[in-house]
Order: sequence, then C-alpha cells, then structure tokens
Amino acid sequence: MTRASTRRVVVTGLGPVSSIGIGIADFAAGIRAGRSGISPISGFDSTGFPHFMAGEVQGFEPKRILRRLTVDDWGPAGVLAACAARLAVQDAGIAPEVLEAAPAGSAMGTTGGESKVTELLTEEAITTGWGGITPDTVGHIPASRLAYAVNRELGLTGEALTFSTACSASNYAIGYAYDLIQSGEQEYMIAGGADTIARWSHAGFFRLGAIAAERCAPFDRDRGGIITGEGGAALFLESLDSARARGARIYGEVLGYGLNCDANHMVAPHPPGIAECMRRAHRNAGISPADVDYICAHGTGTPANDVAEWQAVTEVFGDRTPPISSVKSMLGHTMGAASGFGAMAALVGMTEGFLPPTVNHANPDPLLEGLDPVPNRARPAEPRIVQNNGFAFGGNNAITIFGRLT
Amino acid sequence: MTATTTGALPVAAARPAPAAVPLAVLGWGVVSSSGIGADAFAEAIVAGRSGLADVGDMFPEPLPDERACAMPGFNVKDHLKGKGTRHLDRATKLALVGTDLALADARPAIEDDPGMVGIVLGTTAGSVKTTSDYSRDTFVQDKPYLVDPIMFPSATINGSAGRCAIWHKLGGVNATIAGGQLSGLQVLRYGRMVLGRGHADALLAGAVEEFSPQMAWAARHLYGDGPERVPVGEAAVVFAVRDARRTREAGIRPDAEVLGMAFGTYAPPGEAPDPGLGLAECIGRALRQAEVEPGELWAVSTGERGVARLDQVERRGVQTALGGRAVRSLRVKSLVGECHSASGGLQLAALLAHHRHDPALDGRASLVTSVSADGAVGAAVVRGWSRPHSPQNGAEA
Repeated sequence: MTRASTRRVVVTGLGPVSSIGIGIADFAAGIRAGRSGISPISGFDSTGFPHFMAGEVQGFEPKRILRRLTVDDWGPAGVLAACAARLAVQDAGIAPEVLEAAPAGSAMGTTGGESKVTELLTEEAITTGWGGITPDTVGHIPASRLAYAVNRELGLTGEALTFSTACSASNYAIGYAYDLIQSGEQEYMIAGGADTIARWSHAGFFRLGAIAAERCAPFDRDRGGIITGEGGAALFLESLDSARARGARIYGEVLGYGLNCDANHMVAPHPPGIAECMRRAHRNAGISPADVDYICAHGTGTPANDVAEWQAVTEVFGDRTPPISSVKSMLGHTMGAASGFGAMAALVGMTEGFLPPTVNHANPDPLLEGLDPVPNRARPAEPRIVQNNGFAFGGNNAITIFGRLT
Repeated sequence: MTATTTGALPVAAARPAPAAVPLAVLGWGVVSSSGIGADAFAEAIVAGRSGLADVGDMFPEPLPDERACAMPGFNVKDHLKGKGTRHLDRATKLALVGTDLALADARPAIEDDPGMVGIVLGTTAGSVKTTSDYSRDTFVQDKPYLVDPIMFPSATINGSAGRCAIWHKLGGVNATIAGGQLSGLQVLRYGRMVLGRGHADALLAGAVEEFSPQMAWAARHLYGDGPERVPVGEAAVVFAVRDARRTREAGIRPDAEVLGMAFGTYAPPGEAPDPGLGLAECIGRALRQAEVEPGELWAVSTGERGVARLDQVERRGVQTALGGRAVRSLRVKSLVGECHSASGGLQLAALLAHHRHDPALDGRASLVTSVSADGAVGAAVVRGWSRPHSPQNGAEA
C-alpha cells in the first residue's frame, strides 16, 4: 500500500458554497476570521422544533454561478454540487475546453442526497396520495444525480460517482479521485460533496439528543451537540505534472487516505475503529503520526464524538498530539459535504499559513486532557502535513492526508 | 441546457483506458422474486420463470399495480438466525440476507481477514420509504420531532451497508454508492479500485432495492403505465470478489472474472451528447480492456425494461459497438422486474445463472450494459465458469 512515486496528485482548485462564504476568497477569509455561519432556519418551517438554528447558505444565487445547468432541472443538492464544482474549476484556472476534452469526471459525497425532494413530495402526498403528486420532480430523487450534475455542468463525459456514505462521504470521494488520477485512469477530477438541510434529518438528530440549542462548541466542556448545516464542497484534482505544466497555483498534495468500518454500532463512534482508520491513512500516505502537524477534526460537538475522536487520536499519536480543530463550529455539520469543507479549510490554512480555529470555545473538557483545539482564533503556523478526519453513521470512517508541496 | 456536441463525441471518450485489474467473483447471493440464493435464482432464470406476484396486501397505501416482482412473503427470520432484525427497514433486511448468501456461496471463503473485507452496496436513494415516512412524521405528528429514533440510521442512505458490516463483523471499506440504474456496475468498478490499490483484500459488492409504494408510484410517474413496461421489482444481489491476479496465482477458478468496465456521462435520451453513442464508446473501451473481440461474446445482458426511449439507446449502443453482429440478448428484467439499483447486479447474476451448471459456456465472455434515464451509461465484460458439481455441494473448483 505504499505510494507510487511516479504520479503525484495535487489540489489546484477549491469551490466552497458554504454558510460562511461562497467562493474560496470569502470562505478562506471566513475560516481565518472564525466567522459563524449559524442562523435561524429558513429552509423549512421550523415551527415546533425546540432547536432551530442551522448553517444555511445565505445569498446563494445559483443562476449566477452555473453556466450550463438549468436550476429547475435538478434537485437542490445537485445544484449545490454543480455550483461548488464550477467554482472549483474557476479557481483552478483551467480552460473549460481543455477540461472538456480531457479524461475527467467527478466523485461527490452525500448523506441525504436529494431527500429534500422526497420530503417535499411526501408533504404533498399527505393530502393527494402518491398517485396524485405533481410528478415534475420525481426524476430528481436519485442521489446519483449529484455527480451527474457536476459532469453536466462542466461538460465532462467521464465517469460520475456519488458516494452516499453519510458524513464522511467527501473523504471517500477525494480518496477515489486521488486513486483515479494517480493510477492514470483520469487526468482531472472534481471531488467533494453536497447536502441540504431537511426536516427529517433535523428531527432525527434532535431525537437522538444530538442537536445543540444555539451553537456548536466542539471540545468544550459544555458542548451540546451539532448544528445541522448545508453546502457544497468541491476540490479540483490533477497530477503534479499537469499542474506544473500549466503553471497552476497548488494548494497542496493528496498524500493518501484510509477507509474502514467500525462494524460495531450504527450511530455511536468506536475509538478502536477510528484509530485503525488513522493508521491505514498514515500507511497509505507513507507517513508516521509524528509527521502530522494538524488534524482537521470530524469534531461534531456531540459529547460522544469528541471523546471517541480524542481517544483514537491519543491511541495513535501517544502524547505527541498535534493541534486539532473543528470547522463545524463555524459551518455547522454539513453532513456529506463536511469532510470536503474540512479538506478545504486545512488546505487554505496550509497555503496561507494558519491553523483554522475551533470557535465557541469557552472551557476545556477535563475528559479531553491535552487537546489543543486552536481555540477561537486562527493561529499562525506552517503545517506541512495535515490529517482530515471524517466519520459517519454505520461506522463509515474515512480520513484523507494532505501535504504541502515539497 | 446547452448542447456541447451533436454527432461525434468529445475526444476524451475515445482514449483507451489504462490496463485495469480484473475482479474475480468467488460466489454470489441473490434475494429476488425469482428465487433466493444463487442456485434457486439460477434455476429460475434458466427456466425463464417470472417472479411476478400479487402485492395488493403488502402496504396499507394504494399501489399503482396489484402485481409486482416483489416478495410479499419475505421474512428475514426465515433466512437469518440471530437477534436484532426486527427494527430494520426492508432494504436492510434484503441486504443482510444477500450478503449472507454471498458469503456462504464463496469458494474459497473470503473472510480470512475480516478487518480487510469490505462491503460496497449500490442504491438509488437508500430506503426511500423509510426516509419518506420520517419526513411524513415531521408533518403529521403532534410535534415535528416525534420521529422514531430507532429508525434514524435506516433513513440515511448508508444504513444497509453499515448494518451488514455489523452483522458479519467486517471491518474493511464500507461504501454505499448511489448509482441508481448504474449501481450494479459502479460497485464493481469502485471495488476494482479499492482492491487494486490495497485498501481491502476482499469485498462483498452488490446492490439492494426494496419495493415500496413510493418507488412503485415513482416508476409510474416517470415511465407511464404502458403494457410493455416491465413490472417494478425488488432485490438484493451481492458478489464476493477479490483481485483476480491473486486468485489466478492461487490457481482458483472463480465463478467469473470481470475483465473490463467503462462508464460515461452523457445527456438524457434525445439530447446531445448522445448516450447511445456514449454507450457504444464504453462497450468498446470495456472490450479493449478485457482484450475480448465482439465475436467472442456469447451473450449481452441488458437493462432493457420496456421503456422505448431508454431501450432504444441501449440497443443502439450495443449494435453500434458490436458492428451489427447478432449476439444472444438476455433481458433479465422481464423475469425479475425493474429493480433499479439492483438491476446491473441482476444482469450479471443472470449471466452467471447460465454459467453455473453449463460447462459448455466455461471461459466464454459476455457483456453487461446499463443506461440511466439521466444519460449515464456503463458496460462490463465478464468471463464465466460453471461450478463443477451439483448445487449446494460446496465443491471446490
């Protein structure tokens, strides 16, 4: 499982559609400033929900971003995915005609897919029955359409794969895209994820006792859980040779990734499984724990996740644990897009010379002794290698490793 | 929607794919209206027996058709021992039995290192019924949050794959691929990558689709009620796979090798770029990867479903790629129904059904094709072999 030396894979474009900013300039400034994207829910009627805050994308005008897709032809998650992809390609500065003529495709991750479409149809069916619903959006239900939306927006005829591995799905997508380029099967890949907020998932997390009242405070003693969020995240990947040949700005190198399954519990994170995933990621990337300068945490802000994640980190890293922060404190939990946003935040920090902060941090948790969450303010630093954690329901662990280009 | 090309495809698609690692299928399991288990399914397919059943009493909600290729009598406890199956969605129950059957059918067994055995399951949108029922509860309960917490994991799309890993204690890569119609081939494609790159030693790769009022009505709304359209169905189909380089080294004769796979994303039928030409391109690439000539194919297992605009794309793609050569066509959906994400797997299983007890087909190559309503297409080239002895004898190859 060692890294072949022949073809290195780099990230040269970032496309965030997030609650703290649309486009990489806004997003990067937001991450650096520790901006909060949390606001009262407007995407659905939150009447009757005791907790009603979310990380919603504000001021989003997809028609101003998309060049090919007609918004009404796609579900909202597909639109987020396509917009993120378009922004990533623009950021990469690659000519559209070059991209369209090359072997190129997309891998996108999601938790709910187009469940928002299903939810709206379900609401209609309560009065009409399933036979009487307006059929126009029925064809939007398949989650496969997230990656299709990306390919169709960009004019890519290569493969389009949608990973529905819940809250670590973007990391699956990044890993697969990395393999496709490294093995020479593709020249360019878009990888990331997208999700929308919806009543069903907000209700489900609330019933699990996992939703915080007002803010997400990962690693804080008094943390109360997640804030649900939405967004689209896309990274543009190509080979190092390709990036150098066209003089592209390089955010960082994909060094490798690890995947495994807790095979233990559907919703409770399992430290031994998470630790094993870290070891696999390190092995695949050809690094040791001591090489990792920063961990972009899964960091949901639930009591259970943060303890389990820290236990796994200490098991793997011993007493030399790197700083570990959670951008979910700013963005909320963007589900299938979360590890895509994590990757982008880590890469921006690597490029601009800072560690993303964990905001809303007031009191250290004695159960997390030794944890440095980069509290509240971005910290100037020059991380060389970063680890991006993603965990999910079903014990679906996925971790990506990025390095500064040397 | 801007058309990028009219006739010819972009040059990218014409590039030959680099040599790829073949996959070895060491066993398989099917849960379908045409039979449960590889042997029962093989017998039904070879005999041409349909799984059409009366489904009028399956759900309280009305259905668009009284008959479907579903399993109204399916009870997970008839197939699995052990506790913990009561509060599961239907898709997960089907997937548990499908993965169990595939593990039991695998020769040799694949669980020697369970931490490196993964599960890759295809889906359309998970258990749409469970997700929809969840949404429904937020509207009709006294409080919008009064949903059933036990069912929450089933309402997320990756619920089935996670449950299967817990049930079988498999700690390897656990992936759910929402490929819809293309899932059956995409899980093999992803599987080839994770095995070839050392992320797993062996995989259970398959797909599951449950029958529900939601899916039955969705099909009616999308494809109409023409008498030629195949009924809606449900199935789980799972293959136990390894890197074929390893099985070859060990001198193991598998049930099949998946030698070539290719995929493309085009426009829906009738728009440009043309998915029919795209499918022809993909078939060509898959054949070249497999080093198989069109004249060597004994069958094409298609996803044709009696929806003219889609079937025409598929037929045109196949005919173009094979130069008009007449090759036997297997249309498994006429027996098992439209099982959406499980379709590709059932198409492959139909080929293996013919191979299973027919040594005359040993080593012969065949083709699986897939076309989605969105214009995504895929093709796979496989070679199959018989099991040397009678059914359920556990014979080593």
